[in-house]
Amino acid sequence: MSAVAPGAAAAAGPGVPLAERLRSPALLLVPAIAFLGFIYLLPLIDLVRISLAGIPWWTHFERVFSVPLYWDSLVRTMQISATVAALCLVFGYPTALLIHRSRGLAKVVIATAIILPYFIAILIRTYAWMVLLGRNGPINKLLQGIGITDEPLQLLFNRGSVLLGMTAVLLPLMVLSIYSSLSRLDGSLVRAALASGAGPIAVFWRVTIPLTLPGMGAGFLLVFVSALGFFITPTLLGGPGDQMFAMHITQQADFATSEGFLQALAVVLLVITLIVVGVAGHFLGFEFIWGGSKLVEAQTPPARGGGGARRASPGAGALLADLAGWPILRLIGRLPAGAGAWTVRIMGGAVIATLIVPIVVVMIISFSKSSFLTFPPPAFSLRWYEKFFSDSEWMAAFFNSALIAALSAAIAVSLGAAAAMGIVRSTIRGKTLLMLILVSPVVVPPVVLGLSLYSLFLRADLVGTPWGLAAAHAVGGIPIVVVIVAAALQGVDRRLEQAAAVHGASPATVFRTVTLPAIAPGLAAAAFFAFLHSFDELVLSLFLSSAQLKTLPLRLWADVNYQLNPVLAVVSSLEVLLVIGGIALARPVLSRSGGAA
Amino acid sequence: MTTSSAMLAGGPSASAPLATRSPAAGAQAIGSRITVSGVVKRYGSFLAADGVGIDIQPGEFVTLLGPSGSGKTTLLNLIAGFQKPDGGAIHVDGKPIDGVPTHRRGFGMVFQSYALFPNMTVTQNVAFPLRMAGIDRATSERRVAETLEMMRLSEHAAKTPAEMSGGQQQRVAIARAIVMRPRVILMDEPLSALDRRLRESIQIEIRDLHRTLGSTFLFVTHDQGEALAMSDRIAVMDAGRIVQIGTPTEIYRHPVNRFVAAFVGESNLIEAEILQRRGTTVTLKSRSGQVFEAESREQIDLGRVAVLVRPERIAVGAEQVSGAMRATVRSALFLGEIQRIEVELESGEPMLIRCADTAGRRLPDPGDTIWVSLGSEDCWVLS
Repeated sequence: MSAVAPGAAAAAGPGVPLAERLRSPALLLVPAIAFLGFIYLLPLIDLVRISLAGIPWWTHFERVFSVPLYWDSLVRTMQISATVAALCLVFGYPTALLIHRSRGLAKVVIATAIILPYFIAILIRTYAWMVLLGRNGPINKLLQGIGITDEPLQLLFNRGSVLLGMTAVLLPLMVLSIYSSLSRLDGSLVRAALASGAGPIAVFWRVTIPLTLPGMGAGFLLVFVSALGFFITPTLLGGPGDQMFAMHITQQADFATSEGFLQALAVVLLVITLIVVGVAGHFLGFEFIWGGSKLVEAQTPPARGGGGARRASPGAGALLADLAGWPILRLIGRLPAGAGAWTVRIMGGAVIATLIVPIVVVMIISFSKSSFLTFPPPAFSLRWYEKFFSDSEWMAAFFNSALIAALSAAIAVSLGAAAAMGIVRSTIRGKTLLMLILVSPVVVPPVVLGLSLYSLFLRADLVGTPWGLAAAHAVGGIPIVVVIVAAALQGVDRRLEQAAAVHGASPATVFRTVTLPAIAPGLAAAAFFAFLHSFDELVLSLFLSSAQLKTLPLRLWADVNYQLNPVLAVVSSLEVLLVIGGIALARPVLSRSGGAA
Repeated sequence: MTTSSAMLAGGPSASAPLATRSPAAGAQAIGSRITVSGVVKRYGSFLAADGVGIDIQPGEFVTLLGPSGSGKTTLLNLIAGFQKPDGGAIHVDGKPIDGVPTHRRGFGMVFQSYALFPNMTVTQNVAFPLRMAGIDRATSERRVAETLEMMRLSEHAAKTPAEMSGGQQQRVAIARAIVMRPRVILMDEPLSALDRRLRESIQIEIRDLHRTLGSTFLFVTHDQGEALAMSDRIAVMDAGRIVQIGTPTEIYRHPVNRFVAAFVGESNLIEAEILQRRGTTVTLKSRSGQVFEAESREQIDLGRVAVLVRPERIAVGAEQVSGAMRATVRSALFLGEIQRIEVELESGEPMLIRCADTAGRRLPDPGDTIWVSLGSEDCWVLS
């Protein structure tokens, strides 16, 4: 965290009259912080308290670490997460380069192919892989058609399918992280290196890679941390030997074993996550979580070179690059010219196919006439769409989800937008810490959050209520809103606000006539993504909903586990349409903020 | 306040602030008087305004001139109310404006970045202050049309700012600032983003506006040429203080110190020792022993001083004349209407000369010996 500027104290220090202080934008942070305090931080603290309630206090933890079932699962979870993060890095980098190097329409198409899956529910993307890899799925059909096998292969329910599914689900995160780093790369550096006689591969090795290391690191850690808490994908794609740690927590919750042990499992997962995030934040700056630029702590005219301290020392890295890198480079240099560009195209193309093909297959299957998930469909019909829209249970689930998502988006936008205003406009100390609290729900494994909220919801009688679920979903919605709206606010030209004020506009009028129109696209995008977050949310709902209040993801989840039928494909296709519509609406926002930067 | 008030007595005629230029005859002076006294503004340990004092007369055109970081924009922001001073007071027409929020101060303002509302047309932008003041539609439409006409923008009325050139946008911003006929108009480097030709034409437009409107204009710039061309008075700022206030001619001819001398125009400084003083004329001896005369302010201590000679006030000749100093040409450039000659005096001090190009004058070669003569009215003693 950066140092707090001394000037910050003057704005809010003692001696400032009360009326003045009541007008401070810092107060806008209060509702969001209070909300998160009650419905996020306190339950987590409670969780830790219960986990420590054994006699002696480490009893439950001892069991976690001494019972082979859990210990092995913990080691396995770390292994799987690290492998997935590494796979994402290897395949994500060429993809990010491909977006970076393409121009015009190609760039838009490729970028959309990466971003679109990112916003589709993990459950649906995992379901698509089940369809793709299934016994009668397109891959088995293809293998049989070519004549490689006679019998359908068992492609699902093994370690390979877990790794494939998780990598595919988390790849967009990696690609976006690396791409943001690449796009900030000064193009003249590459030209300067080329002009100094470095070949394209040497430029890549000595310029591009070192300067995008922060993006790679941020992507790797984000993927690793997300994978640690993964629950949906390993449950659906894994076999008995692929149990991940988060799955134990839900299973223990189902069996309602001794209280305390369950919480200890969650605390172990939480602590590991926080340690990884803490170490990452120490080296990369905690901004890596929200992928944003550093916050300006206060209005200090000169930048005080805070970023310089975080530079990695060039000594060791350069030495390693020289010792190991150059011999390899010389070998690679013998390859025909253009090999690098072709590697990028082939690997990037493969990644895009991996992300898009499952979705396309599911959309095609949704029009199938067959009752089975078979590809290609023997004939086309709209029967499954009719079934979905005429089935009262599906429709009830749909409306429940829409209602909860609307409520949740309303909570997240009102609290999050106010908090973003407070973060960007106030001059208080410790902004980075406050931002960290606001954004931290993103890194907490949903399973842990769900479990911690469960006891609060039991006590408050909120289990299975729309407001309860909406509030729980808003915990994850607020970070989305804060990040988007804060970025939009930082793009607002303060001179415009001053121009309005000096020509007679009161603060409220300034906000209405200048600030609001400028951030309106950002607010709309934030509202949409907060809605989508809640609409797609499954893990919290598993803990906090009841049989009376089924949401669409819950209904999907039940069906995916019970029977894979084409109605699921219909729901998936509708979700894809929703996301495409949302992104189309948000596009002008994204391109405008890109142009302003 | 104490430091800057001492500086207020800039040149011999500093007591007559509106001496050279006043609003054109016939125009009413509707401008406000702005009195800034002892204003302090801190950013952490950095003093952006360090006891600034200035008294701006109604209808006056005052320019705050200084390098970046000298505090001129801070002072403007304090007057506009975007920031609050940490000490001192600002009065408008005798009333303190400390507690008056920006939007009730009733000023007009033009920004360097234009700050036009991108979501509004030219008409809507210009109508904004009228709308905020709650003026009825008919009056508002008439005033906007008049102002657009005045700024020659009528044909662009329906455009959005993005569809206009920089110069046009700045004229819209000026139209917005004057549409209410405010008593005070603040301009924060309004011409810096424009190219030179455009800048000169808008300079003239702003001068003319000032004459027609009669408002008090407070103009901020780091461009000394702009300040000299436009202002009734210039306040030169450095390190959060006003170091000199005076008319353009006073500032240029009689700067108070080396900073002002160097910041405004090109200057030669000659080290010399005062031998004797008679009124405002002193006799000095240069380092090479040359005795010459110069003008100074009335109070000046005997001893070593720096003497300012503007490059265009120096007479040069190929022949020795009485009182002339011998100099060796280092470089000579022909710039069209003038010759720019760098010479070295016998004392080793460099000297820059700008002389008009005339039919008979030969451009000297490096190494040539020439003779430079300084009239006593062309030399000014700096304190």
